Amino acid sequence: MSNVAKRQTSTLDKVLRIALYVCLLGMAAVYLAPFLVMLLTSLKDVEEIRSGTLLSLPSSLNFDAWSKAWSGACTGSQCEGMAPYFFNSFQIVIPAVAISTLLGALNGYVISHWKFKGSDVFFAALLVGCFIPFQVILLPMARTLGWLGIANTTTGLVMVHVVYGVAFTTLFFRNFYQSIPVELVKAARLDGAGFFTIFYRIILPVSTPIIVVTVIWQFTQIWNDFLFGVAFSGFDTQPVTVALNNLVNTSFGGKEYNVDMAAAIIAALPTLVVYILAGKYFVRGLTAGAVKG
Amino acid sequence: MASLTIDNVKKRYGQTEILKGINISIEAGEFLILVGPSGCGKSTLMNSIAGLEDVSEGRILIGDNDVTYASPKDRDIAMVFQSYALYPNMTVAENISFGLEMRKVPKEEREAEVERVAEMLQIGHLLKRKPAQLSGGQRQRVAMGRALARRPKMYLFDEPLSNLDAKLRVEMRTEIKKLHQKLGTTIVYVTHDQIEAMTLADRIAVMKDGEVQQLGTPQEIYDNPTNLFVAGFMGSPAMNFIPAKVVEQNGSYALELQAATPTIVPFPKPDSLKAHVGKEILLGLRPEMITEPQPHKEGKEFVVTADIDVEVTEPMGADTMVLTRIQSAEVNCRCNPAYPARAGEAIAMMFDTSKAVAFDKDNGQRIDN
Repeated sequence: MSNVAKRQTSTLDKVLRIALYVCLLGMAAVYLAPFLVMLLTSLKDVEEIRSGTLLSLPSSLNFDAWSKAWSGACTGSQCEGMAPYFFNSFQIVIPAVAISTLLGALNGYVISHWKFKGSDVFFAALLVGCFIPFQVILLPMARTLGWLGIANTTTGLVMVHVVYGVAFTTLFFRNFYQSIPVELVKAARLDGAGFFTIFYRIILPVSTPIIVVTVIWQFTQIWNDFLFGVAFSGFDTQPVTVALNNLVNTSFGGKEYNVDMAAAIIAALPTLVVYILAGKYFVRGLTAGAVKG
Repeated sequence: MASLTIDNVKKRYGQTEILKGINISIEAGEFLILVGPSGCGKSTLMNSIAGLEDVSEGRILIGDNDVTYASPKDRDIAMVFQSYALYPNMTVAENISFGLEMRKVPKEEREAEVERVAEMLQIGHLLKRKPAQLSGGQRQRVAMGRALARRPKMYLFDEPLSNLDAKLRVEMRTEIKKLHQKLGTTIVYVTHDQIEAMTLADRIAVMKDGEVQQLGTPQEIYDNPTNLFVAGFMGSPAMNFIPAKVVEQNGSYALELQAATPTIVPFPKPDSLKAHVGKEILLGLRPEMITEPQPHKEGKEFVVTADIDVEVTEPMGADTMVLTRIQSAEVNCRCNPAYPARAGEAIAMMFDTSKAVAFDKDNGQRIDN
């Protein structure tokens, strides 16, 4: 039986298909090139960098620059590498992400399921928070931290990031909870559950996608933050971004591009890892709409 | 089990009045249906009974307790929602026992209760599933199971069948009725489906624009509607409203219809027409009261045979609906399928006015009460 239509592939189709892949690969290369250059450079020694081109491969694998960047490079007058600041960053990021995510979830829950007089105004006011540029709040925040006695401390930085992040996290959670049917909360109230029980037993268990989105977003934002870090951190509480800047700007003798590159990759690594591990949930969570009951 | 009293309940959102003074009272064990078109306030009223919305004025009593300001959990009522509102993260068994858990019932008792309910609703094999793995009808059963498990004083059903397909809806309707007969509990049930209202209710409250138009048994509402709205809302096809002129005849009063030829029909309460002599009123006559000529009714007091012009015929199997037009009004007649009514021809019909009602043409109120 040959009356089944066969798929016809003309030469033109093939050419177009190849052109498409070339195009896609080209775009991927453009985006990956800077990272590749960083990686290659970090594996060369200073002599090789000076004599070779940007894209030439290192003659041998040489991790000296990485160990120097991690534990020996000078950032200003200190010469302990990136390691202490790397941990500083974690000390800031972990509590800041946890607190801002939790507050955002609670805010979103209240705004979408426990409306009170003025809750819409409250939400609108919070939204304005998303549009305030960092620079604007630098001075007032510095005064506030001074008053609270937590200037130049990790606690202070955590607070700044929480305050700034809550606007975004609330927006995320509110939009997600808006799609949870109100009947679910009504049913739980009739069943005898209170405000926190409903949140903990009914709402949180269905919130995984939006929690992942919020955590990735907040982690990336706070980890990559430079301005708040440079403005509000103390000498020994500087986050990794500030340390990277200091490292690159501190030079004794020649510029060690390999160390700079290694340090930059180290500084970027956690956000990369988070995205690779949870990236697919990120896309899923952003597009997740209805919770089907 | 408890009686329910709704005493002059009003609800306002800003300037808009959603409930305009509702008065309903039912005995313990009665099945009350709130029925009306969308936007009539029936869901708001139900939410007020549940305590999910505050009322602006008036009182709500369950049994002898004034619960107007009590929180939902203290009213001891259970509710079945249109969207079922099953907790998506919990299994069927957990859904059913959640309310008991919140009321600190020991685990063994909870398990026994889940088993009892599951057996009653035949959902034993579903207990370990999540709501997402259930069909619409199964979700419906689980939602009812969740309500039953707590053995509350009263059940509220908010359009529970409107998300089901037609066949399942009829099945579940019967099942709810059986359940009510078995448990004998007080039920308040919201629907916009007048057939559900007729079949299930002990009492029906027909609502429109935040007011109760009529409260009564299904038969009262069907036979004795207080106004045009109630008469037109209940019954399918709806009651015919036939323009008729009040005429004086042999010292009594009767009605003249413009069928194929002008026809005089008698009216059960002729004296109530006295004030309208010479004026046009609306005669309310259900479709089943206009039939093919039936020999056994021939010559009875309120029976008149007259020719009509057939506009359309709609065979329904058991009956054939014959549509005609009297003045501007479309009139449905329910005939035997064997009766040879054909579109475009004139044919004799028997008008039985023994249960006819009359409405004022201007304000839609009954005039023969």
